[in-house]
Amino acid sequence: MSQQVLEARELSKTFVSGGEPIAVFSGVSVALAAGQSLALVGRSGSGKSTLLNLLCGLERPDGGVISLLGERFDSREAEAPRQWTQRWARLRRGRIGVMFQEANLMPALSLLDNVRLRARLAEQPLEPCQSWLERLGIGELAERYPDQVSGGQRQRAALAMVFAMNPDLILADEPTGSLDRRTAEEVTAELFRLQAETGVALILATHDAELAEQCQVTLDLAHGAADLTPGASAGPAP
Amino acid sequence: MTLFTALFSHYRRHPLQLAALALMILVATTLWSGVRQLTEQARTSLAQSEQVMAGRQQVVRVDGAGLTVGDFAVLRRAGVCVMPWLEVPRPDAVGLVIGIDPLAAHCFGEGGAPFGTPGGSRPARLDGKPFVDIAEAARLARQLPAAETPPALVLIAADDTLAAALPSGYRLASVSTGPDTGELGESFLLNLDALGILVLLITVLLLRSVYRLGIVQRRDSFVLLQRFGVPLARLRRLLILEILVLSALCIGPGLWAGGWLAQSLGQGFGQSLQGLFDAPLYASPGHWGEPALIMMTVVLLACLADFLVPVRRSHAPRLRSYPLAGGLLVTGLVLALLGPSLVLLYVAVAMVFAGVGLLAPLLIQWLAERAASMASDPLRRWRHRELAVMARQLALPVVALQFTLAMVLAVQALVTTFEDTFDRWLGQRLAAELYVPVPSGQPAEPAARWLAAQPGLQQGGAWHRVIRGRARVAVGDKAARPVDLLAFAPASSLVSDWDFLATDGNPWEALARHDAVLVNEQLARRLGVGIGDRLALEIAGSPLALPVAGIYADYGRPAAEVLVSGALLPAGFEAEFESISITPGGLSREALVGGLKQVWQVPELTLRDNAEIRALAGGAFDQTFLLTRAMSILTLVLAAIALLIMGWVFFTGRAWYFRLLATWGLSRREVAAQLTRLSVGLTVSVALLALPLGIWLTWVLVHRINPLAFGWSLPMAVYPGFWVELIGLSLLIGLGIALLMGRQLRAGAALPVSASSLSGGER
Repeated sequence: MSQQVLEARELSKTFVSGGEPIAVFSGVSVALAAGQSLALVGRSGSGKSTLLNLLCGLERPDGGVISLLGERFDSREAEAPRQWTQRWARLRRGRIGVMFQEANLMPALSLLDNVRLRARLAEQPLEPCQSWLERLGIGELAERYPDQVSGGQRQRAALAMVFAMNPDLILADEPTGSLDRRTAEEVTAELFRLQAETGVALILATHDAELAEQCQVTLDLAHGAADLTPGASAGPAP
Repeated sequence: MTLFTALFSHYRRHPLQLAALALMILVATTLWSGVRQLTEQARTSLAQSEQVMAGRQQVVRVDGAGLTVGDFAVLRRAGVCVMPWLEVPRPDAVGLVIGIDPLAAHCFGEGGAPFGTPGGSRPARLDGKPFVDIAEAARLARQLPAAETPPALVLIAADDTLAAALPSGYRLASVSTGPDTGELGESFLLNLDALGILVLLITVLLLRSVYRLGIVQRRDSFVLLQRFGVPLARLRRLLILEILVLSALCIGPGLWAGGWLAQSLGQGFGQSLQGLFDAPLYASPGHWGEPALIMMTVVLLACLADFLVPVRRSHAPRLRSYPLAGGLLVTGLVLALLGPSLVLLYVAVAMVFAGVGLLAPLLIQWLAERAASMASDPLRRWRHRELAVMARQLALPVVALQFTLAMVLAVQALVTTFEDTFDRWLGQRLAAELYVPVPSGQPAEPAARWLAAQPGLQQGGAWHRVIRGRARVAVGDKAARPVDLLAFAPASSLVSDWDFLATDGNPWEALARHDAVLVNEQLARRLGVGIGDRLALEIAGSPLALPVAGIYADYGRPAAEVLVSGALLPAGFEAEFESISITPGGLSREALVGGLKQVWQVPELTLRDNAEIRALAGGAFDQTFLLTRAMSILTLVLAAIALLIMGWVFFTGRAWYFRLLATWGLSRREVAAQLTRLSVGLTVSVALLALPLGIWLTWVLVHRINPLAFGWSLPMAVYPGFWVELIGLSLLIGLGIALLMGRQLRAGAALPVSASSLSGGER
């Protein structure tokens, strides 16, 4: 039986715009075990990125509970913001890998140094960093800077950074959104191959239906719940 | 929306940038025009002193009493061409006005034109710059505060006036316009010009850096507008229009503020001029058109120079700059060491500054890159690389801050050295407790005999006569030159602590034996005199030839002076001033005053306490250096604010990377620590690089510029306390940047923004 990585129940988020509250979503529940993959789909503005932000602690939900890798975050409890932020920071530093549409590399560092920086922050050994780049086919570009390589190569480097930190959960927000179709397919193939190899849990926000199909479960935010825990089934919130 | 509105919309999103730009133009104008106004006033005053007063003579009373309107009437009735002259401080502005009687001036020839009055038979019209009608000057004199000494009336005599033509009770005397300062006045003005140019250079660097930052941020908009079909030439015209409008709005208030600054600093500045050259600061007209035009041109050149010379963008350090910068630096250093004139020295300073300005950002960048390549910790490596990027992108404000720090360091060291030296020198000159001017018309010898006979003075006391007058000195086959003469009779123990720049054994013993004379540094430099050189003196027509036994330091005035034993003064010598310096020892003050009153048969005696004079001199000293101190501190504040703003704006552009670090799990405290180390790293590097430049500049000021400009040198001293202060200030600027950014990071969105919004130049 796979180890449960994430369980989020009844998450809701509201933004205030022009003095008016706008509910992004409410009652969203997600559960995910190690090695499993989930695609978040939905039209623009449905809250895919916001949900990812909640699941890595970059934003605080207005309602609901998140249990992640042994830590419990309950929006109803009056936990001091500083403590809440610190607990999430610890998780992001060592156990949650976050990928964005853009590669988000430090431009002042070479590709290898970017990977080493991410591994160092996660307190992982630095030696395998070069081999991660090689496994992703960009080993010979290790000393190049981000502005000296293509967008696809940058995104591969971002993948190397995420895997070099040896995470338990990867959150990827439109990771191939800025790439051409062929490059996007190559990068996606690498992502799923390495995910399968390492057994990390993956949540992927995407507009791409083909990409979503490669995940084990698809959650359309119009419906609001996904539970891949063995014995449970994905579906709308009760 | 018009094209201009579209272009200007950048400043709607970044109002702080617009405010910074306006502030830079305003402050640059204020500082430069303030210094310029004072310089112009000094230039006019020195010229007027030279042209109007030099070589003229005045009529004085034989009994030494002050002149009155009655004396004027007596002299005119006797047919003597004299004109009343009354110098009064202006109550509403800086400088003196001179009250004259235009009708009386007519007998001077050319209708009194030398004094600013038009010739011919028309009534004279005086504009107050500096001449006013004497009635107006008298009115101003009545408005002076009671604490101030009322100005004395002077009666200027026509050049052809003969002593024999004067009624009894009057005699002719030369008008005291201070010593012949030769080229020193010009040097002083050159110094002021240089200060003004340096201040302008620094402020223009800051202005340019703020403007360029805006241009870099607006580059994408320009590209977009060009794609929409707007020609590049039109964009440039609009940018010129934009900066013209902004300049027009800011230069006017800047000039007004400059006038206010000049007025605020005028008192101290006037004291400088009086102290250094015996020339008062006269009121002079203020010009607005020319400075406004100059400033407008400077602002346009500073902001739009890139239109003339295309900017090269490169990630690698500009290796081609190294030989140029190195060449400038080495040539400047050699020229500063050997340059024989002030102009060449300023060229040398400019070359060294240019070289250092080009090298400093490259050096910081190179050091940071080197530290990055040696760092095994990836986070440290990132921080060093970021520092290298900052050094390149903030090159202009970094160099401006470095120049300012160096200038402040040098000025502080110079002023403090001067203060210490001057204080010690004053202590030596005022070693006696009391100082008694010999009453007008009274001989000093009976008082000297009385003092020599006092047993109380032998118990821990000392005294000597001080006699001042004029002499002529020649060296070798050169023509004799007039110099100040100082004589001691006898040279008591009160002078034994004097500092000598060069001596031959015991100079006081040689003086006491009448074997030698002593000279001040100014005379030694001007006549090229050294120890042992024989001087041909002419005192009251009597020749005297003696070697130089010592060269003493004589600060704060340009006059050349020779010091002889009082016993060598010939019988016909007329002292211009005589006093007695006394430390009473066992003799009470009451007994001293009573005894001297009896000797001179006067009801009252002026007795001055040297400690009070010393305190007064200290106050005057502070006023004297107010201008230099104020300018350097104002420029430092400006540079600090500019770097703070630029650093903040720069980090705002890099906020994304710090947010990325937070996304990767660094706590807020850790992100803030990275931010602080970076900003403090940059500002402290600037301060450290400013130290050698500041020390070098101190050396140039003390050992090269001061002797050429003022005729005397100062000992070189370094003050590590200032270094610590400036490094502390840089630390504060760095912390300020980090604090501002920390607040921004906390207030902003948690997520890093799209990286696609960043393009080029970040590495």
